Amino acid sequence: MKAWVLAQKDLRVYFRDRIAVLLGIGLPLVLCTVFAGAMGAIGSHDSVGRIELVIEDADRSAASRELVAELEKSKGLELDVLAADSKDTARGRVAEGDAPAGILVGAGFSAALADGGDLPLTLYRDPAKSIEQQILAGNLIPAFLGALGEGVGKRMSAKVLETLDFPMIGRERAQAILDASWTNMESLVQSIEDQGGLAADDDGSADEVTQADAGSGEDAGAGGFDFASGVAEILGIQVEDVTGGEEHAQAEKRGMQANSVAGMAVMMLLFGLIHCGGTLLDEQESGTLDRLRLAPGATGAILGGKFLFTWVVGAIQLLILFLFARLVFDTPIFRAPLALFVLSTATAAAVTGFGVLFAVVSRSRKQLEGLSTIVVLSMSALGGSWWPLAITPDWYQKLGHFTLNAWAMDGFQGIFWYGKDLSGILPEIGVLSGIALATSLLAWRLWERRLRV
Amino acid sequence: MTTREPRATVIEARALVRRFGERVAVDTLDLELRSGECLGLLGPNGAGKSTTVRILATLLAPTSGTVRVLGLDPVTEGERLRARIGVVPQELALYEHLSARENLEFFASLQGLSGTLLSDALAQGLALSGLAERANDRVKTFSGGMKRRLNVAVALAHGPELVFLDEPTVGIDPQSRERIFEMVESLRARGVTMIYTSHQLGEVERLCDRILILDRGRKVAEGSLAELQRHPEVHRRGGASLRFAAGGEAARARALLAERDIACELEDDAPDLERIFLDLTGRALRDREDA
Repeated sequence: MKAWVLAQKDLRVYFRDRIAVLLGIGLPLVLCTVFAGAMGAIGSHDSVGRIELVIEDADRSAASRELVAELEKSKGLELDVLAADSKDTARGRVAEGDAPAGILVGAGFSAALADGGDLPLTLYRDPAKSIEQQILAGNLIPAFLGALGEGVGKRMSAKVLETLDFPMIGRERAQAILDASWTNMESLVQSIEDQGGLAADDDGSADEVTQADAGSGEDAGAGGFDFASGVAEILGIQVEDVTGGEEHAQAEKRGMQANSVAGMAVMMLLFGLIHCGGTLLDEQESGTLDRLRLAPGATGAILGGKFLFTWVVGAIQLLILFLFARLVFDTPIFRAPLALFVLSTATAAAVTGFGVLFAVVSRSRKQLEGLSTIVVLSMSALGGSWWPLAITPDWYQKLGHFTLNAWAMDGFQGIFWYGKDLSGILPEIGVLSGIALATSLLAWRLWERRLRV
Repeated sequence: MTTREPRATVIEARALVRRFGERVAVDTLDLELRSGECLGLLGPNGAGKSTTVRILATLLAPTSGTVRVLGLDPVTEGERLRARIGVVPQELALYEHLSARENLEFFASLQGLSGTLLSDALAQGLALSGLAERANDRVKTFSGGMKRRLNVAVALAHGPELVFLDEPTVGIDPQSRERIFEMVESLRARGVTMIYTSHQLGEVERLCDRILILDRGRKVAEGSLAELQRHPEVHRRGGASLRFAAGGEAARARALLAERDIACELEDDAPDLERIFLDLTGRALRDREDA
């Protein structure tokens, strides 16, 4: 009975701060929406898991164009075909972190296809983006089958027999049977297409195949089996990891660690610094704020002081996290120290701006906690701290870049993974500084209004 | 209670009004305070005492009316005024995780003190508040009385000309209260002008030259204790008022009246401040929160 009386009291107290209650109720709703959006449950799901693939066509033949056209049909891929006169290369674009993968269709592709020789195809990939690689691999199979048809099918059959270590004595016969099957299948597909049957399946089943493949690939990737390499090998594509060293598994591990360090650094920084900004509310509740206001010229200095304090704490937090990452994960924090220093400073400033702004708009600690939890978790999910943006719909990816998490993560990954220096991360530093400036100015205006006597 | 020769005007407020929405916290208040005076601001909860202090101390703008403090407008010239005033808030506005010395040093340096001035102010503040021996201890380890003393010392560290003390002795032991009285009396001796708000009427009687009683935002009465004792509203609660030439006469009269079964209230002396206060503000409860 007394427990119920106590509970009633707590319920009364809890529901008194209506804004805090609304924020508390709003949190799961907002997070639900963000999660559903990431998984493609909002709007059209056509663009979910679309992987950017850079195409460099050095062959410029009808066959290579047909391959590109088939790849373009794939719903899981977003092609970026380099122009003939482009100075960019597929390898360079992937190495810069602009795309998770690229394919070079080498000169002589058409001839090799005709005479059955080795195809001059190279897949450049970023091992840090392992989930993207699995989705890509799942999408390459139908595209290559569509473009190269029977030819690639027969290559795949030969590869399968080789992989199975099929006895040489019967291999020629087995190959002939499989080749005939491919020819029959080609005819069957053609006749179905002629009747318009396959077109009806395009939106649904084809997608399911690629997504299912991607899903199994993710599991396999985590277990050490390189699904993407396996698929590329069967399709007769050379694979090259453009960054992270020669050993793929190690590179993949280091890349994922770099991602995690960057993602968690920003999210935890947001949580920590919003708490620091909240000391402004503590000053108000304890009465010291009035005492501070009574000091000459202190009105502006109060907010400036909170900004500096929060900024310094943020910088220390980042420093400790990066030193930890260096010791435990071997994250290359000393690769570009100036770039890392400037980016960390800009990130801490942007996060500080948010922290101080939230503290100024909140009227109580409870409100601040509700507001900051919603915003930090949403921004982290939208900005890529929790999962790669590449597996989310296009609109989600675009929205993600309205968060400071995405820009900060791009910057940190640029340094840790792609070996960029200060000049390479200037856009990220610019955006983060802009966020810091905008949020601080807004906080300043609201603060002035609030303290107006 | 002493009476001082009035000097230059330090505070002058005319028809001061402060509204919070529909509620009028301060209602057409006129107030004047001269240099070196200590004005006791009395009133029940919600009378408008703290609001008045906040207006005079630059923390709140009046809705209407004019006010000059030390010759300056608290709204437009607040920055200049703040260096010359000290405010002892009702709350313990201290940093619990800092030591007494660190609190004093921080607030004094915000007021622009540095070097020798700052170290002198620290030594003086710690001595005055009786906290010199605990100067380096964190405030969170202090008793309520120690915190209250430090709360006062912090407001005085920069040597203000005008000090507002808003219920500075709430909830403390008699020894600490006595020390705070000594701090206030030393200010009076130095000619510092003060406004002192309190519910402890004895404190006001002891420390203040003049008393202003507020009720529902309005001035009910103002003057020295002697003047308030002669206020027409005092002793006019029905019935007769008797004065006895010698002490003990009231007891005899009470006994005589009791023999004849006549109900009455008889006092030996002139009404004290508590009586004056209740006569002027009434006995009804004031549950409105003090603004």
